[in-house]
Amino acid sequence: MNFRTPIGQVAFLVLLSCIIGFGSNLVRADKIPWIAVKLATAESIDKDVETGESVLVAISLEQAKNLFEQDILFVDARDEGYYDAGHIQGALKNAFLMELIFNIEERQNKSDALVVYCGDPGCGDSEDLAYNLQDSGFTKIYVFKGGWLEWSKAGYPSETGI
Amino acid sequence: MIGYFKSQIAFFFRIIIGVVFIYASWDKIIHPAEFAKAIGNYHAVPFGLENLMAMAMSWLELLVGICLIAGIMVDGAAIMSVVMMVVFIFAISQALARGISIECGCFSVTEKSGDNIGIQTILRDIVYLVMSLVVLYRSERKFEFFPKSV
Repeated sequence: MNFRTPIGQVAFLVLLSCIIGFGSNLVRADKIPWIAVKLATAESIDKDVETGESVLVAISLEQAKNLFEQDILFVDARDEGYYDAGHIQGALKNAFLMELIFNIEERQNKSDALVVYCGDPGCGDSEDLAYNLQDSGFTKIYVFKGGWLEWSKAGYPSETGI
Repeated sequence: MIGYFKSQIAFFFRIIIGVVFIYASWDKIIHPAEFAKAIGNYHAVPFGLENLMAMAMSWLELLVGICLIAGIMVDGAAIMSVVMMVVFIFAISQALARGISIECGCFSVTEKSGDNIGIQTILRDIVYLVMSLVVLYRSERKFEFFPKSV
């Protein structure tokens, strides 16, 4: 590797970044898996079945619509600007976590079902929020992976503003 | 590299991009899981490779920033800066074209920064891209310590 040539320098910088990045991940306390793990998808959902176990699964558009019709609480995990531009009808805004928890608990118990969604299939915000809510004691959390993109494309009930 | 741009301007841009990269890398190095999610949000990386990318890219940004400011391997750092800006511009553009509503993940990956992707983030990266090209095609090597000449 010739450090005097630009290509040699590029190769060195990339290689060094990989060595430090991968190496530090081996030793740090908050290490992450080498390959991102996807959330398990629910084959069927039945909110009335009390398993006593914590539920955190991904659901499809139709399952989300089904839960919407059963008046299950929806939580929008996206940024406020996106929420104001359009969100699932009746969905709660993702403010600070404690404020959100307070808002949810005003409406229901921690053992009641709720649906979390974000922008589109595969966005991470809904999963992040779902895990945070699970850590805070909520036990029946469904992550609607299709999110706002699938919901709005399907023309299902939505609203704008705060 | 063939020199077109005055070395004073190139030096000024070198420092600016260097500071931007170091600043941008910091939060990502501290919070790799959040950075990996931010990358995953763009849907531009297949097979769950966003985690590996998050581990390496945050350090690459830091190293490029340090090299640009310290005047070490400036050509290589400037090329990487150009490549990264092109990748960022492509990633943001394809996300916007697909109607994906996400936060940028450019500087902060933990807080809700409100830095959502949009035309403004693309324009910002185009400015950094132009600055990187000016550094790459500078007329002479001012305040550079390795290599001093090609």
